Amino acid sequence: MTPAAPAPAPAVDPIRSARFRTEREAGWLRLDVLLRKAERDGTAALGYDEALELASLYRQAMNALSVARAISMDKALLTYLDALCARAYLVVYAPQESLRGLIGRLLVQGIPQAVRRSLPALLIGALAMMLGAVLGAVLFDVDHSWFYTFVPGGLADGRTPEASTAYLRSTLFDGGPGDHDGLGSFATFLFSHNTQIAILTFALGVFLTLPSFVLTFYNGLVLGAFWQMFASKGLGYELAGWLSIHGVTEIAAICIACAGGAQLGLAVLLPGDETRRDALRSRGRDAVKLMILAGLMLVCAAVLEGFFRQIVQTTEIRLAVGWGIGALWFAWLALAGREARA
Amino acid sequence: MKTYAPTGLPAWEARGLLRHTPPESVPITFRLSTPGARFGAQTLDILITYGGVLLAIIGLTWTGAFSWNGLITFYALLTFFMRVPYYILSELVWNGRTLGKRMVGIRVISLDGRRLTPHQIVARNLMKEVEVFLPLATLFGASTMDIWLGGALSAWMIATLLVPVFSKLNQRLGDMVAGTVVVDNPRPVLLPDLSAQAAARGYEFRAEHLDIYGRYELQTLEAILREPPKSPEARKRVSEVAQTIRKRISYDEDLPESREWDFLLEFYRQQREYLESRHLFGDARENKFHAATGGQG
Repeated sequence: MTPAAPAPAPAVDPIRSARFRTEREAGWLRLDVLLRKAERDGTAALGYDEALELASLYRQAMNALSVARAISMDKALLTYLDALCARAYLVVYAPQESLRGLIGRLLVQGIPQAVRRSLPALLIGALAMMLGAVLGAVLFDVDHSWFYTFVPGGLADGRTPEASTAYLRSTLFDGGPGDHDGLGSFATFLFSHNTQIAILTFALGVFLTLPSFVLTFYNGLVLGAFWQMFASKGLGYELAGWLSIHGVTEIAAICIACAGGAQLGLAVLLPGDETRRDALRSRGRDAVKLMILAGLMLVCAAVLEGFFRQIVQTTEIRLAVGWGIGALWFAWLALAGREARA
Repeated sequence: MKTYAPTGLPAWEARGLLRHTPPESVPITFRLSTPGARFGAQTLDILITYGGVLLAIIGLTWTGAFSWNGLITFYALLTFFMRVPYYILSELVWNGRTLGKRMVGIRVISLDGRRLTPHQIVARNLMKEVEVFLPLATLFGASTMDIWLGGALSAWMIATLLVPVFSKLNQRLGDMVAGTVVVDNPRPVLLPDLSAQAAARGYEFRAEHLDIYGRYELQTLEAILREPPKSPEARKRVSEVAQTIRKRISYDEDLPESREWDFLLEFYRQQREYLESRHLFGDARENKFHAATGGQG
């Protein structure tokens, strides 16, 4: 800010609005200093006296703005006061949320309660995934060429119905002739792929739930076809382990993202007593929390997939870890943040 | 937030302004950010995030701690964190300002005038992913793409990019969902009072001289006086202004070139004092047509 240039000693009386300004200028500059401090370090950085001073200076500045609009035609002054008051308003009335309290509240109450409120939507998500998986498996049994329709080439990575059982087994366990790099890149692909699917399912839900449902259903199809292909070679149990260690978390995350999208879609389809816009806004809150949860779960799934699947090589332990973590998720979502019954 | 055009301003002066009435009942004004500023901030954010990821990857390659495979995994993880979570966290931590927005000097505020709730921040940034990033990534990521899909994605992107240009409050879709608006961070700059600089320069204006102009002309003159002329052309323009005013108000004294600046300063001071006191008596003169239009002058 440029400091006010020292005015030359006036030989005539300053006009009314100039006097008004000189009388109050010091207070405004002090307010500006306090605002800077509050904006830089947060309002918590202000001491008790400073906070009091800020509140009182803010009211004085507001007062001055009101008076200046009535008596002054000095555009520079009006613009200054307007900007100063707007800034002070934001500091006083729109302060920053405390990050720690926020995350704590979200984890302990927000997310679990949102999940429990959205059971119908979750059911839709799970249903889409299961229907897709069953249909994928059945269709694969009928005709193996369905596999190529469902599974994109990049995802299959040589694991097609023509591949030998030995090769398929090697992709599930390290140490075999399996291509290490290939599996690693598959993991990353699947990860970013699933993240995008999750975000898409969520965002597209607003178009009447259908796209979310379709995408989740499609994800189920891929899963079902994959499963049935491994099962037809007698590797179903091993695949279950390979998938479970991260898949329990990851597939649940996709279902939850779908549920988030479905919440939005349901708000549009069945708004109840509210207007559609209001319904979208109020249910959007739960939907966003579901999406945060899905994001969290995807990150966990990525960590599991990236590290533990390579370390843990026996199917039993893989199953135990995967479903154990699934149980932990379930316990958190089902139990946390319940109000004590009176 | 009750939004309405700032009262007392002609429509073209009020464009791009957002008024909010705080509990103190004194309306305050926010200036909506231009689409250009927001685009700049977004570009800066992309440069910062992806530049950061690139530096991290280069650093890791240099230390040689990871295999190629590990690097790819690491890259995927980093880009995941650098997208939606970066925007959400930075807007949470800096109260509606990402690093790019800080540099450009804009911020997100809630339309109801209260603090930004985490819900609003998450919603507007998730929508950003759908509006911009996913189509962009799909468009550039896919090597072979159906011409229809490509066309549809491009059309979607162009449409979403045009939404803030045409929406009344320059909101993009995410802003509408979240109920937020992006405004310029108010920057209060206290300029010196011009009326204090113009003390006794020997010009005396009478009521009939000061009856001509209104508020708008006074504030235009103020804008001219805020920038003392440096080049000969600028001096010539100032001289034109001074002579035009002298003729218009029929000020009969001679005005040599050396005294034109003093004349303008002194005229500004006396005109302002005159208009302000007329205003106090209920005679608001918006511009030089005040006598013709309102019949109040």
